[in-house]
Amino acid sequence: MNRTINILVAVILLIFSAAPEIYSQSLREERDKYTLLTMPYNMRPLTLYRGQLKADAGYKFAVKGRKFDNDGNPVQLRTSGTGSVYHYYFADIRYGLLDFVELGAETSYIRHGVRSESVTYTSVSLTSAERVTVNQLKEIKGFSDILFNATVRLPIKYKWFDLSAKGGIYVPSAEYKQDKPEHRITNITAADSYTVNYKYNYTNGFGVPVYLLASQVKFTFRKLSLQAGLTFRTPAREGTSIRWEENLVEKTFIYYDQSYKYLLSDAWFADLAVHYQATGWFDIFVNVSREKTTGGWTEYWGNKYKNRETELIMIEPCFELQISPSLTVCQNAGFPVAGKNSDAPFYLFTTIRFSNFPFFR
Amino acid sequence: MVKYTHILKYLSASAVFFAPFICSGQVEKQLTPAEIKQQTIVTEPVTLKKGFIRSGMLTNYRVADKYFTDDGIKEYYPSNIWGTKSVYNLTFQYGISDRMEVELSTEYMNSRQESQKTEFIAATNTAKTVVTRQKGTGIGDTYVKIRYQIFPETSYRVSVTGNINLAIPTGEKNPTDIRSAEQYDLPVGSGTYALGGGLFARTIFYPYSFTFGLNYTYSFTGRKKFEITDIREIEFQPGEVLDLSLGANLHLNEWIVFSNELTYQHKDKGTVNGHYSALLPLTWSASYRPGLVFQVRRFRLGESVTIPVKGKNTAADPLYIVMAQYVF
Repeated sequence: MNRTINILVAVILLIFSAAPEIYSQSLREERDKYTLLTMPYNMRPLTLYRGQLKADAGYKFAVKGRKFDNDGNPVQLRTSGTGSVYHYYFADIRYGLLDFVELGAETSYIRHGVRSESVTYTSVSLTSAERVTVNQLKEIKGFSDILFNATVRLPIKYKWFDLSAKGGIYVPSAEYKQDKPEHRITNITAADSYTVNYKYNYTNGFGVPVYLLASQVKFTFRKLSLQAGLTFRTPAREGTSIRWEENLVEKTFIYYDQSYKYLLSDAWFADLAVHYQATGWFDIFVNVSREKTTGGWTEYWGNKYKNRETELIMIEPCFELQISPSLTVCQNAGFPVAGKNSDAPFYLFTTIRFSNFPFFR
Repeated sequence: MVKYTHILKYLSASAVFFAPFICSGQVEKQLTPAEIKQQTIVTEPVTLKKGFIRSGMLTNYRVADKYFTDDGIKEYYPSNIWGTKSVYNLTFQYGISDRMEVELSTEYMNSRQESQKTEFIAATNTAKTVVTRQKGTGIGDTYVKIRYQIFPETSYRVSVTGNINLAIPTGEKNPTDIRSAEQYDLPVGSGTYALGGGLFARTIFYPYSFTFGLNYTYSFTGRKKFEITDIREIEFQPGEVLDLSLGANLHLNEWIVFSNELTYQHKDKGTVNGHYSALLPLTWSASYRPGLVFQVRRFRLGESVTIPVKGKNTAADPLYIVMAQYVF
């Protein structure tokens, strides 16, 4: 067994030590930045070239018209008036340290308001009429934590096969504690007839460091390529946050916060994409992804409750269009196929990619 | 004779010296009709050439999630209501002359509003659920527009085009198929004629083009039912509308244009039965609209999103627009 491991380690070391030799030949042939910047998807490796800088800015507009319940059944939210929209902004920056090592950082911003079904409580007696309507809105808004990551790939020239491994950590840079609610009383038509508008403000940070491990594999056969990946995300430790509660006294809200502990769920993300390089500047592909969360717990009134397991399978037709050597536009539409305890949004995600070799002529 | 020889020498030298300048005017590239039809939104003539036809479809989609209040604050709609609006606009443009074009467009509307509310009644210890289903589908209003190049771009660096617009209320203006107070079909038309006019200026510094637009619309008096409880149609008149736009378009490559436009719309208060009404409030909005326009020979495909930045009494949600056009 030990002998096998030793041989395996020796082979890996040999490949890495031979890498400069392998690249020294190809560099002379291909170190033309315009050739590298316009390299079609089916001919490029899983990481950036040495010295290449890439910055992405994306916007996702998602319509959450339905969700999947605990049994995987779709639940229509539109018909009950509780559908909602996401606005998701994404930015990342990556740099090719070597031809097979890439460093990157990414973050995102989300704004998502979820309305619950409005309820009216009516009490009529001989002397008075009370009518209280309750509206509830939960808003999730803010930056996500920054993910710092490094990716390595096989140190060989890409021809038809590539394999990469990625490791990263979400640094808890974003606000994670719930902001103070902004409840209001409106439409006061009588002493006991009014509308209560609950508005809870949630943030988007994890609150604790979260590790990320991922691997990608890519095969190309002429104009067709197949790319598959597996990503695992797990929290470094338990976290502590606050939960706001309120009392309504004489139509005025008094807020108080309570501390609670939590452990984020582990998340698995698998995807498989089939690409077709229609021309040198146009790549169309279909991606199928599956996301699953397991484990974790949240504390309520001193008791730990297990987080719900969630699952979502999406199918995404996409294209990547090279506009100029430095600019690329990507667009994908996401359609939810199946899931459990999960939102099922339809979305359009547009990304503009800027790429260049800032330190090379 | 010697004198004439000198003159001939000067003329010969002048001809050699000025030849490139004279010739430069002669070698200016003359575009064929087929090439003109393949030009992008940056380089194409501001109105269609004589005899050219452009037909297209413009689809826009919006979800009701947020709005600008009377104080200009962007807020979520407070109660649970899900509203969507899709408009499919069919356009036909024809070049009457090299400086004048006419445009005819109509629209198919598809709007929906759905909600579900529960009421608990303490006296009887019962609960009832009120379900609202409203949809508005059908052909909406029709629009006719005439554009004329006052200062044509062939003679001036900045072209100025005047336009006259007419809105014809061909869409259904009243709620129909009323099944209950919560379930009925929404109107798809405005219910009134409107006449407008404006100016549009454009200058091209390839690969850029810069535009400025100013439009005014006056709506005539009309009659319609605002609520399903209205027994008769009520006289109304929408407020005057002022539209301003400022655009900068950039060629990313020879066939893709990145368009940018800042728009401002001001709609004055309208009247109902001759009096100002809360049904037709003063509204204004300032928006930014980025977009990408792809020109593939005579076929044009574009997508853009209108992002409301500031406003009052108006929707605050992005409006998605997809455009497809073909020049015959």
